[in-house]
Formats: sequence, C-alpha cells, structure tokens
Amino acid sequence: MAEPVPPGLHGAPSMLVEQLDEPVKVRADFQGGTIRPLLFRRGPICHRVVQLNACWEDREGQHKIYFFSVSVAAGDVYQLRFHAGDLLWYADSVMMEA
Amino acid sequence: MARRRIILHADIDAFFAAVEQLRDPRLRGRPVIVGSGVIASCSYEARRYGLRAGMSLAEARRRCPRAVILAGHAATYRCFAERVFEVCRELAPAVDAYLDDAYLDLAGAERLYPDAAGAGHLLRERVRARTGLAVTVGIGTSRMIARLASRAAKPDGLAEVPPGAEDAFLRGRPLSDLPGVGPRTAELFESIGLETIADLRAVGARALIRLLGEPGRILHQRACGRDSRPVAPREIPRSISRETSFDAAATDPGAIDAMLAYLLERASRTARGLGLVARTVSVHVDPAGGRRQEASSTMPLPSALDSVLVAAARELLRRVHTRRIGLRRLGVALSGLGLAGGEQLDFLTSAGREREARLTSGLDRVRDRFGHGALVGGRSLILLDRLRRDRYGFVLRTPSLTK
Repeated sequence: MAEPVPPGLHGAPSMLVEQLDEPVKVRADFQGGTIRPLLFRRGPICHRVVQLNACWEDREGQHKIYFFSVSVAAGDVYQLRFHAGDLLWYADSVMMEA
Repeated sequence: MARRRIILHADIDAFFAAVEQLRDPRLRGRPVIVGSGVIASCSYEARRYGLRAGMSLAEARRRCPRAVILAGHAATYRCFAERVFEVCRELAPAVDAYLDDAYLDLAGAERLYPDAAGAGHLLRERVRARTGLAVTVGIGTSRMIARLASRAAKPDGLAEVPPGAEDAFLRGRPLSDLPGVGPRTAELFESIGLETIADLRAVGARALIRLLGEPGRILHQRACGRDSRPVAPREIPRSISRETSFDAAATDPGAIDAMLAYLLERASRTARGLGLVARTVSVHVDPAGGRRQEASSTMPLPSALDSVLVAAARELLRRVHTRRIGLRRLGVALSGLGLAGGEQLDFLTSAGREREARLTSGLDRVRDRFGHGALVGGRSLILLDRLRRDRYGFVLRTPSLTK
C-alpha cells in the first residue's frame, strides 16, 4: 500500500517542500477588493514579502479560502492561506532550494 | 441553410508545471516535472529533452538529470482550472470544460464577437490577467478543427482555420494528430504506408471499416473534416475512471480492498453529479513485475449506488488478483453510462435501495459543500492511517483529475 507522504520534506533533489500548516500573524493590504500580504511573523522571525507570485481561491462551505504564494526576503517561497470565515491566516508550506 | 459554427478550443499550456512555475519564480526557465511514478505534466523546458506526459520518472531523470520533480498539488490545479473556465463562461454561451482545456461555442454571440480571432485574443488576455497562465487558442468550424488548430499553435499561441480552409489545413497533417488515432493505430497505419490525413482519406471508408471495424468509419469521417459533435456543458462521457499507483507494491488485501472502494466511490459520485448511472464496472491491476490484468462486468440494471458498484468491483478484483503478488497500480472504470431516469425506478422499488439512495444523496450534498474528504466511507477507514488527506479526499500518488 502507498506510504503516506512524509510530513517533512518531499519533492525533487534540488527543491524541498516542507509542510507547515501553522497559524501565522500577517500584515496585509486589503485595498481595492484584493488582498496582498506584506509581511508575516512565523515564530520569532518576521518575514517581509518581496513578491506576490500567485494567488488563487477555493471554497469551504459558504466561506472562501484565499491562497498566496509569496517570496520572502530570505529567498524562500511560502504558501499562505487566509480563511475568510474566521479571518485566520496560516502558513501552508515553504519551498526551499536545496 | 445551417448556420456556420465557430468553436474555440482553449488549452492551458503545460498546465500543472506552469502553475508550479507561477507559484515559485525560481522554477521559471527550468525543466519542471509534475508527477509521481510517471510524468503527469512537464514544462516546455523539459520537453526539449524529449520528456512527455506518461513517461516514467526514471526515464525522465535519465534524459534530464537537472529537471526539478514535484509531486504536485491537485487541489491547487483545480482552483486555477476553475478560474480559467470562469473566463470561458463569461465569453461564450456554451462551454464544455475538461481538465486543462475547454471548447467554447460562440453561436449566438456573433454580434459580440464579429471576429472570432478577437474573441480568442480576449480570452487569452483575460486568462493571463487573472491567473498568470498562458492559454493557446484554436478556432475552427468544429471541435476537431479547433483542437487541431490549437495543437498547431502551441505554446502560447492562437491559430484560426477560416471556414472553407479546413480541407487544406487537414490534408498534410500527420495521422497521429487525428483524434482517435493512438500510438497503436498510428503504428498500424505506418506499417501500411499511411502517413498523412490525406492518405487516410484516399483509403476510403469501406477499407477502413474492414481494417478497424466501426472506429474506421469514424476515423474516415474525421479525416474528411466531418465532426458535428456539439459543445454542450454536459455530455455523457464514455467512461468515468479513477486509478492510483502505489509507492511500494501493495500487498495488504484489506488496504487494497479499501482503496478499491475509495476509487469506486469517487467514480460513482462523479457519475451521480452528472446525473448518470452505469451498467458496466471494470477493474484493472498492474501486479509488480507482471502484465496488466483487467476484467469487467455488466449488470442487469444500471446503478449509481456505491454498494451495488463496490460489490461488483470486489468480485472483479477477486478475478484479476488471484495470486499473492503486490500491486503497483489499481484502477476502476464505470461505463455503459446513461441518464438516470426511468430505469432507476426498477431497483428503487426495494425500500432498502430507496433509503440508500436518499442517504447517498445526502452524503453527496455534504461533500459538494465541504469537499469529498469531509467524509470517509467505512470501507475506506483503513486508509486513514496510511494516506494523507485534504478536503478533496485522500492524497493519492497519481491523482486523477479527469472528468
């Protein structure tokens, strides 16, 4: 039977994806009917978003979930998730160059 | 006189790989593969090394050692595809959307789009603005011509075959371009010296029917550019299938049975969502180191109920998996599909079936709202300890996103 995807790292030898699914504090711009994360705090580290790479949305019941792929100053790419139902932010994953 | 049709075929270029390159700019310009076991999608940079969807990852690594290989994010691809199809629905009255492509029929919207190419450019611009994805558009007077035009214009292009130019467009194209000509049929044609669509036309319908049976007639019609299939948002598919591969050969009979039930439940929910019932159930397995085994069974009455279909599938699995050899791949398919209607009444006469149909309908509504993963069937509980799960269900090694 298939093994579960390891909770830690998977992907190609040159790219590592770490699954996080952690609540994070995010400062975001909600102007003009769009959401743009500007910086977020994960544990003791504050990450400044230097580029919004992509955003997409999904639905959970009647509520929308917004996803953001952002590059941070350190060079890594994070996937952030915003639940419109309870106004909570999460860091889904981080993709690092191995 | 019948009105001339204008069909657009919109095809997302290297879809899964393109989404990954959007999500992570470091991947842009690099060969990117999405897949597990086999390539599900690869970027155009990877295709320069001869990589293609369906190729094994071992072969892909050999041909392109520096390719970035990602397992993929099926839920994310669904979201992107839905945004692309939203744009399609804004532009055209009738849209038939698949996994990474869609057909648009502009009939009735001629005043809005006097120039079909203009509609194609608008579609490409809107999709790029809203998703960042590149879409290739083909325009023609039928689905087939539009599809062949988009294939000729890939990647990130637009091609139109004007009315009356179909014959010239088709003639010189290789036979492998013709829908319905797979690798085996292409080999057969090559062995008898047929290379282009014009060659196939010259053979004539009668000879093709002798060679291939009924499919020969359809191929001849297509070679002559005849394709009157409508663009409808809901057509009855020939089959609905779900399958997965395993990281290590699966040997636990309980887990294999649980996966069979899970795949079948996914397929039957899709059928119910389309308002369909199935008469035939098929199961196929790829044993480790062995050849694919498959079996199918046609039921006296069509059904879309999980219990009926799972029972049939289990019986088939017993027929095809007779030895204690691990499985590399397991798949199910529902075919003989028809609209749910009068025939359903026959088996709903029993109170038990009626109760089950009501329960199933309730479960489907919950899953429509919260995702298939919101509920796990008792038959598949064993998978909870073995597979990761998201709101769309278990995260399979080779998820199927097809219709």
